[in-house]
Amino acid sequence: MANKVDVAVIGAGPAGLAAAIAAREQGAEKVLIIERAEQLGGLLPQCIHNGFGLEYFERDMTGPEYEKAFVERAMGLGVETQLETMVIDLDGERGITAVSRKHGYMKFKPGAVVLAMGCRERSRGAVGIPGTRPAGVLTAGTCQRFVNIEGYMPGSRYVVLGSGDIGMIMARRLTLEGAKVEAVVEIMPWPGGLIRNEVQCLHDFGIPLLLEHTVSFVHGEKRVEGVSVCRVDAERRPIGGSERFIPCDCLLISAGLIPENELSRRAGVELDPVTGGPVVDESRQTSVPGVFAGGNVVQVHDLVDWVSREAELAGRSAAAFADKGRLKPAGGVKVVPGESIRYVVPHTISGREDVSLHMRVTRPGLKATVKVGGVASKRFRSVRPSEMIVIDLKGDALKEAGTGGELTVDCRMKEGD
Amino acid sequence: MEARETVICIGCPLGCRVTVLQDKKGNVTGFKGADCKQGQKYVLDELKNPVRTLTATVRTGDEGYPLLPVRTSRPVLKVLMRPIMRETAKVTARPPVKAGDVIVKNVAKSRADIIATADWPGPGGEG
Ligand SMILES: Cc1cc2nc3c(=O)[nH]c(=O)nc-3n(C[C@H](O)[C@H](O)[C@H](O)COP(=O)(O)OP(=O)(O)OC[C@H]3O[C@@H](n4cnc5c(N)ncnc54)[C@H](O)[C@@H]3O)c2cc1C
Ligand code: SF4
Repeated sequence: MANKVDVAVIGAGPAGLAAAIAAREQGAEKVLIIERAEQLGGLLPQCIHNGFGLEYFERDMTGPEYEKAFVERAMGLGVETQLETMVIDLDGERGITAVSRKHGYMKFKPGAVVLAMGCRERSRGAVGIPGTRPAGVLTAGTCQRFVNIEGYMPGSRYVVLGSGDIGMIMARRLTLEGAKVEAVVEIMPWPGGLIRNEVQCLHDFGIPLLLEHTVSFVHGEKRVEGVSVCRVDAERRPIGGSERFIPCDCLLISAGLIPENELSRRAGVELDPVTGGPVVDESRQTSVPGVFAGGNVVQVHDLVDWVSREAELAGRSAAAFADKGRLKPAGGVKVVPGESIRYVVPHTISGREDVSLHMRVTRPGLKATVKVGGVASKRFRSVRPSEMIVIDLKGDALKEAGTGGELTVDCRMKEGD
Repeated sequence: MEARETVICIGCPLGCRVTVLQDKKGNVTGFKGADCKQGQKYVLDELKNPVRTLTATVRTGDEGYPLLPVRTSRPVLKVLMRPIMRETAKVTARPPVKAGDVIVKNVAKSRADIIATADWPGPGGEG
């Protein structure tokens, strides 16, 4: 371990694997992935459903199949991995402290670091549902792990809070395994996940989607016996008198993901309060020199394919940094979210190179036009907060337009969903 | 009199609610609500022949790796999803398995096979 590591990657999910592969391909000698779990792949092994790889491989793959393609490439390139090892500290000088049962405590300073820690699910505490504290309240991702990896059904009658993709996918999976899913409850007026999942996971099985509803109370002493659901008003506050009881023995929470950035914070990496992830330039370098980031740790992606692409960029840049001992920040031009745009990644660009902008809108709309300063504009039949928008900019067009140090991204749309 | 059926198109985030107009004999006479041609094709397929790729798991009997993830080798008729689940639930996989190996042939007479989506070398194996 004391041997010089050129690029250290924290996390072995799709982001970590893609970053490590790209770093090796870019010429970094020793690339090491550190992963706290027992196996590679991050969330992918438990995502047994299809829908992965449509952009990257132009094939419809399951999570395990997508993972295998990357693991094989990484192993073929001699990427080293250390499993069951948790990184507990990262300092502002790229110093990594990690612990594992096998290797004990270790401290080293790689040539460059890629943050690929993914995200964690919002829990009941983070959502703040009143009621008793019985067994049977769990996050959708935890349930997915139980059912798909460990072969254990945590209940037989379910209510799912939140209509994110994980929640909808679990509603289908549990139904196919013989359980009853009483409802998927969503506080917003629109579903939180992809339309494909709404149709194929809910409509196909007649599972009701209650929009503008929330779970107002959890009932049960030792075990969940049911939940109260009620309508909410435009401010997302429960409407008095609208409450009704739904019996169930399990409440799944699928209320969104939060980028996992404890380590980034320790290292002094500047975070964007909107994405919850690091502020990055177009090479995916963070505010700490030599520390790069890619995947769900930067922004919660809708498709794993974008996770892989973003992480490749981070891996390539990390290899370049490790090689030269520095990499000029590719900043210069600030990208600013304007009308109806919630965020844009990367936060700064060079204004000279080709670059892809990832963004999300604040609300759904029809006949939308996204304008990137005076440089580019793209039209969409419709936009939804649940689907990431990707706009590719050409370096030449950027140079020609001259950005004046700032580029505002606006989305004009008609109301509606 | 005209029969109508409504399908949500998943061709793009717009998710148009498309109504297919049919005459008495079931011939399609028109569409309402589709914003593009591609959507009309999807909706027709979805009405005549709604298919899905089904994914599930199969028991292994291996304590360290109790479940093997599987999928249908091609999309199957929607109505066959439950019969396929029932048949798949009865099966125990035998090691070693490579992703792509057939676990159940012509499952529930769907003309699709159940295939593994991950490698499983067997108890105590690497990976
Ligand atoms: C239920 C579910 C369904 C999904 N469905 C789809 C789909 O149908 N199609 C699609 O394209 N995408 C889907 N996605 C999205 C896709 O799975 C994620 O975008 C992707 O897994 C994110 O990759 P990542 O590498 O950034 O994070 P992760 O996969 O979360 O990997 C992060 C890794 O970092 C490790 N780690 C974290 N902190 C540390 C530390 N301190 N030390 C060591 N290791 C650490 C974690 O253990 C983990 O292995 C789905 C996601 C979920 C959860
Ligand atoms: S009909 Fe066309 S525009 Fe409407 S959802 Fe389908 S693909 Fe999109």
